[in-house]
Amino acid sequence: MTSMTSNPATAERPRWTRVLALYLLAIALGAGSAWLVVRSHLDRGGVSVGVWRTSTLAGSTHADLYTRAVVAVGALLALNREETVYYVATTDSEGRPLRSRCRYRISGPAPDARWWSITAYAEDRFLFDAPARRYSINGRNAPLDAQGRFALESGPTPPANGIPWLPTPGDRGLSFTLRLYNPAPDLVANPASLAAPRIERLGGCE
Amino acid sequence: MNLLRYLKMRSPWYVRIEVLAGVALLTHLLVVWAIPYVIMAALSMSRPAEERGTGPLFPPMTDHTQRRVVMPSPDLLYALCAFDVRQRALRIQADPKLAGYWSIALYGANSDNFFVLNDRKAAGVPVDLVLIGPDTPEPATVPAGARMVRAPGGRGLLLMRVLVGDYGAERDAVEAARRTLRCTPLS
Repeated sequence: MTSMTSNPATAERPRWTRVLALYLLAIALGAGSAWLVVRSHLDRGGVSVGVWRTSTLAGSTHADLYTRAVVAVGALLALNREETVYYVATTDSEGRPLRSRCRYRISGPAPDARWWSITAYAEDRFLFDAPARRYSINGRNAPLDAQGRFALESGPTPPANGIPWLPTPGDRGLSFTLRLYNPAPDLVANPASLAAPRIERLGGCE
Repeated sequence: MNLLRYLKMRSPWYVRIEVLAGVALLTHLLVVWAIPYVIMAALSMSRPAEERGTGPLFPPMTDHTQRRVVMPSPDLLYALCAFDVRQRALRIQADPKLAGYWSIALYGANSDNFFVLNDRKAAGVPVDLVLIGPDTPEPATVPAGARMVRAPGGRGLLLMRVLVGDYGAERDAVEAARRTLRCTPLS
């Protein structure tokens, strides 16, 4: 005949298991929320100009806890803005999210910096497997018109009009990064003063 | 466990919820704080087997196969040194002799860019830096002409950038330029 009296030691164990589970849940919530907050702030915050955004604290020794974590995840080893200003665009000039299968025309005045470039990145923040390893258009290979303006087109296939092409193969998320190395002092002091390039979607997406 | 038991037995339910919320908040802040340190440590320790050694790392020209650092610039050639100046100072030397842009940037273990020197600031003078930790005494003998830089922490990463317009055409010049980098512990 079995006894109906429970052993105190075995009765204690389920309670401790519940307490431990609650604390593990709290730790999981804390860690999970940290990762979500950092991920959700990629390409957000900072200064915006047109569709372009830049963090004034990227790489800075004055960065706060969250900025530092966001930069480490999204733009590790960024230089401070006295050396380089990074602008990121994730939408076109009408606010639509960028897709690699769409064709875009990016145009504007040549940025006031010693050297500049526009690079296309897939949604994982790495380079596209682009034909001829053409990953960026920069101040050296972008022709300027008489007004000192540049223009380029991105998309999965080359444009027919001879304009510089930034290949974005496949159907993936897309972002453009505009880098200004040794920017003009005015831009360092006020990154929002950039004459921001426009990103216009051309026709439908392929 | 005794503390947990005490809280469970002595505290009303709302105190226990506050404690759990406090644990979640502390974990949240700790993870946010730790993210840059973990990523930087992983990067400092990840070194291809064929490049093992204490000298600088010279990765190939950036392309779509590079998956170590997010948003790599395809227009730059890099060289890296992981440093640890808690015990010994590090001498950093380079003489790129290039007309175009290059820079040497120092990052703390928390990913802060605490120092950068570019070709304009160097003004044609070879780079000669002595990097010391926040608490380490200055070396007894500093090489003549070397500039002292004090790091905010003991560990970190040096990243040299060399601008490349056309790697095929400029290969000899830019490869020679980045390979002038030396990271030598001072005894």
